[in-house]
Amino acid sequence: MDNENPTILNASDLPSRKRQIKRRLPSGLSNVDMGLLSSIGPTAEPNDPFSTGNVSDPLSSGEDEDSDGDDFDVEQIDEQEIYDLISTISDPEHPLSLGELAVVNLPHIKVTDNQDRSVMSHVLVEITPTITHCSLATVIGLGIRVRLEQALPPRFRLDVRIREGTHSTADQVNKQLNDKERVAAACENESLMAVLRKMLETCK
Amino acid sequence: MADVNLYLHNVDKNSEEAERIATDAAKRIESKQLKLLDVIQSMGEYMTDDDATVRAKSIGFLSAILAALDSKALVRQQVSVITHFLTDRLEDETGLKEVAKGLIALLEMQRFGPEDAEKVTLALIKVDLHKHPQGTRFMVLKVMDVLFSRHRDVLKKLSDPFIDGFIELIGGEKDPRNLMIVFSLLKVIIIEFDIERHTEALFEACYVYYPITFTPPPNDPYGITAQDLKVRLRDCIAASGRFSEHVFKPLIDKLDSTSQSVKGDVLQTMAACALSYGPSIMAKHFASLWDAIKFEVLNSSDDELATDALSTMQAIAASLSYGLIDVPQPATAQSRYLKAIVKETLELLKEPQQKQAKPAGQIVASVAKAGVVPFAYIVKSTLPTLLTVYDDSEGLAKQRAMLEVFNQILESTAAVYGEWGEMEPYPALENPLLEFKDKLFDIYSRALMGVNKEEVGFRTVALKGLEILSKVRKLLADNEIGMVVQYLDEVVLEREEESRQELKYAEHLLQISTMKPNLIMEITFPALMATLPDSEEEARGKPYLVTLEALAKLSIERAVFEVLLTRLFNKLDIVIHNGSGPIYPRAILSTLLYVLQKKSAADHSDIPAFYERLVPTLITKTISALTTPVETGTKANPRALIDDYMIEITGRLVNLVVRSLDATRQEKVLQDVFDLFVFNKPCCIILKNREQVADTFRPFGPHRVEQHVPYMTIFTCIVVGIRKEVKLPVEEISTFITQIGASIPTISLPHKTSHLRLLATIINKWLPPSPSPDLASNEPISILVRPSISSACSLEDTIRIAFWVTKAITMKGDKLGEPLTLQLVDLLSDPNYGSMAARGFAVLLGEDELLNKQNYAVQRLLSKQKIFFLVVPKLVEAFKGSEQTIKPNYLVALSNILRHIPSKIFLPSLPQLVPLLLQSLDLPTPAKDQGAVDVKLATLSTLSITILESANALQAHVGSLITRLLSTATYHGDLGNPGAPRRVRKEALSCLRIFPGTLRNELVLPYKRQVMKGLVACLDDPKRGVRKEAVECRARWAQLDEPDE
Repeated sequence: MDNENPTILNASDLPSRKRQIKRRLPSGLSNVDMGLLSSIGPTAEPNDPFSTGNVSDPLSSGEDEDSDGDDFDVEQIDEQEIYDLISTISDPEHPLSLGELAVVNLPHIKVTDNQDRSVMSHVLVEITPTITHCSLATVIGLGIRVRLEQALPPRFRLDVRIREGTHSTADQVNKQLNDKERVAAACENESLMAVLRKMLETCK
Repeated sequence: MADVNLYLHNVDKNSEEAERIATDAAKRIESKQLKLLDVIQSMGEYMTDDDATVRAKSIGFLSAILAALDSKALVRQQVSVITHFLTDRLEDETGLKEVAKGLIALLEMQRFGPEDAEKVTLALIKVDLHKHPQGTRFMVLKVMDVLFSRHRDVLKKLSDPFIDGFIELIGGEKDPRNLMIVFSLLKVIIIEFDIERHTEALFEACYVYYPITFTPPPNDPYGITAQDLKVRLRDCIAASGRFSEHVFKPLIDKLDSTSQSVKGDVLQTMAACALSYGPSIMAKHFASLWDAIKFEVLNSSDDELATDALSTMQAIAASLSYGLIDVPQPATAQSRYLKAIVKETLELLKEPQQKQAKPAGQIVASVAKAGVVPFAYIVKSTLPTLLTVYDDSEGLAKQRAMLEVFNQILESTAAVYGEWGEMEPYPALENPLLEFKDKLFDIYSRALMGVNKEEVGFRTVALKGLEILSKVRKLLADNEIGMVVQYLDEVVLEREEESRQELKYAEHLLQISTMKPNLIMEITFPALMATLPDSEEEARGKPYLVTLEALAKLSIERAVFEVLLTRLFNKLDIVIHNGSGPIYPRAILSTLLYVLQKKSAADHSDIPAFYERLVPTLITKTISALTTPVETGTKANPRALIDDYMIEITGRLVNLVVRSLDATRQEKVLQDVFDLFVFNKPCCIILKNREQVADTFRPFGPHRVEQHVPYMTIFTCIVVGIRKEVKLPVEEISTFITQIGASIPTISLPHKTSHLRLLATIINKWLPPSPSPDLASNEPISILVRPSISSACSLEDTIRIAFWVTKAITMKGDKLGEPLTLQLVDLLSDPNYGSMAARGFAVLLGEDELLNKQNYAVQRLLSKQKIFFLVVPKLVEAFKGSEQTIKPNYLVALSNILRHIPSKIFLPSLPQLVPLLLQSLDLPTPAKDQGAVDVKLATLSTLSITILESANALQAHVGSLITRLLSTATYHGDLGNPGAPRRVRKEALSCLRIFPGTLRNELVLPYKRQVMKGLVACLDDPKRGVRKEAVECRARWAQLDEPDE
């Protein structure tokens, strides 16, 4: 094992999308734990199971984190979303996630999501190995690449690199990670793929 | 023919007959018609037969007789003769099983004495058991087992020869059922016999089986698991400290095993040995054990093994501290063991953010839990250093990690010294934490109250620590716990944005409230109540909901709820008096409702006690808000009490209390509410202006006042909670029913439901059973559901009434259920009203919030099943022949039925239903039409259940289902045709996700390309939640053809 006792971050402290808390009156009590109250049939608005179009029930629509009518508000793919996709990948050595080990960090992810779908969008992920001579940096980078390739629409161009100054052979690793043919060749390697599968198993 | 001839004749052909012959012989022996000796003599010729099986069978005859004999039937001398006879036969190999059976029966005889036991034992241990089959060995071991339980002293006296013989006898046993006996007998020998000269042999006899790696055969009739064997064998190995010299070294070697289950077994065996062998023996072995097992925690990759290793460390500490009452002297084993642990872990704990700090903390904490002595040692040798590290550490992250370490140690305090209210005597050694408690209290208080409020994680850890400190008995003084409570109060009242977190703070309060309720009543209640605003204006922008939630959570117990009730009613009056709108009062009443619902769900028996304080008070307040004129010149706005939502909450509150009353009290209440709502008489529920209310309050009947109609919700809520055996105070039930029915078309939509529910309740509970299944001849039902000739509006109302009436009728299993239900099915084909009827099936089968079991509704078992089997075939049939515009009605009705039926009922019918379900996926689902969205969601969830539980029904449809799911899941981004709303898209994806792994590979594999390609569009969905689901779905499909390991 390269680094037996790395520093780890607390899982609950990792960056996450702040839940938007909708405390609506009067069903505010029901939002969190008083869910029973939300079932009280509100008679202020017609709640008639026989008629259509009664979605406008203002007292209970808060239960879902996302209400239905707003499909035209596009939620763009952002840094946090990329982070959520890759921070739960397991480290090949420790039973810990890349997020907990601070191998992936939110500030080291850059996304440009072009609204115009015909223009390429970009994702840049810079990884920080736990020690500068980490022999598994390539495997980790490959894991991130495979995960993002599966999870992002093809209009995104991926760039996975070692963060500057954090690895002794960063250049070599970067070359390997961003060379299409070498990545493809690596994905043909069954034993390597087995390692990657194991790493990706914990993805949520 | 002699009995023996008959027996031998029958034994192979007709075992029952053979059994009967033996029993019959036994009876004749008991009644002295037959002599046992004669029986034995009659066996003579067979006993010398050349055929060994004949010899065996004839002994079987004797054994069968012995088994059938009463245990008092034989005299001393007979027992002795037969003992002699059978022990001689032990040499006859073929008859061994029968002999053993005979011996078991003989051992049960009252006159079987110690000298017989000795004779049998000595003969038994000479048997060469190995060459016999498993069943025979089992019988012989059973004989041994009986000897152990009845004549253990004889065995002990036989001493060395017996032990040697026994070990010889059982050697090489492999059958699990036999081993269960062997292990339990070995344990007896090891514990009770003098084994000094046999230690090694006995250890070998046990250890040869270690570790157990046994997999029970499928359909094992004896149901013996590897775990059963492991536990029994472990008991043997741990049974005597004499084994200690032999056991630990091989166990430590076995820790290198690659099998997790072997390692776990080894660790558990070590722990069992440590606890059993005691301090003087463990003093010799702790060092090597510690060296071997620490890696299992510090470098663990398997939580279960780490837990086992931690238990072993704890067991060693517990064993070493046996009999100690004070911190051990430096040279003792205990102190050397603990010193080694501290030496290893303290360095790691000084860097609490690094990976190994957590396992190091676990080691320290679990060893400290072993008892007061180890606890004291650990605390004194780690805390001072760690407190210094805490003080010197910069940055919250490190401090927080250190607090987590402290919390681990504190948890062990709670285990060692107990929580408040613990009945165990307090340990003799003073809690060493007392020395540090001021410092710790200070650190935790600053961590909670002295940092930025956004540091939720840090503060949560601090809060956890404070909670533990407060819980440990005799650690903090009451005034200190009071401080903690005050902190919590302040935290609860902090800004609203972090409210989710604050709810957890309330949980901590709850923890303390169970131990120190007086502190909560004295400190928290006044503090929280004081922050509740007095008017809605004042309430604006204030987090009063958080406060109410905290209060609600703390008030489940009766004493506290009484206080809450008084205080909140007062608050309500003040708020109303200050001219509030309805919103804040709603929150206040909802709080009470929340607590009552919790109490009701927990079956609290004190709910009836709140009737007087709650029901008349609330009803009076609400009704007089309308019937008394508004005083001019004040801001007071009693009308806030009578918006529909307030009345609904009031109704629910009243319902919960009324339904908890017994029948006698309910009868009175029912009379009172009828007086108030229906008969317009003065009634004692109204506490003031009773006469005036009687004169003016007209919610129902021919002279009703429109403004008063909403109050019928309260009436319905009360009636629905009345038990069936209470008589309804009306002269003619059917007249009353007709009256309600007639009023429904003239009532505005929001209040129709309470009238419909009232109607259904009365039909369900009080209308006598229909005399015949002929609808036309059954009044008043036939009148209610007959379409009236008047306007279209009332036709809609007839449909509403018909569904509710049918619900009430089918629930109680009345004869009219079938004709009524079929009439509803017919409605579906109506071009104008069919779609309304389709939605009505949700009412028919859905669980009503009030008309249900908790409110004593008559609900026959299987009533829903009946509707299902009646309606669904008709739907399928009608669907086929109907026009395109009508078809959706059947699909919607079907979905509404399926979503309210347990899946095990509809699964068998699925093959017929799947084509319909697939078509219902094609129905448009405009986001605005909640009904259509619900139907689509229901269809998707039915399909998911089908895939999971009855995949075969879908086999033929995999391809079309996948295509439809993909198209449902895809966002079109087109204003005119936006596709399904987000929740539906998400549900479609999660349904699609179940395919791989649930359906057979060869069924899904052909679609992999299509799915992977189709999902690419979903990866670009405008909504994050859908994208997430698409990613997971795609990951599942991506793994499809990869070989399983």
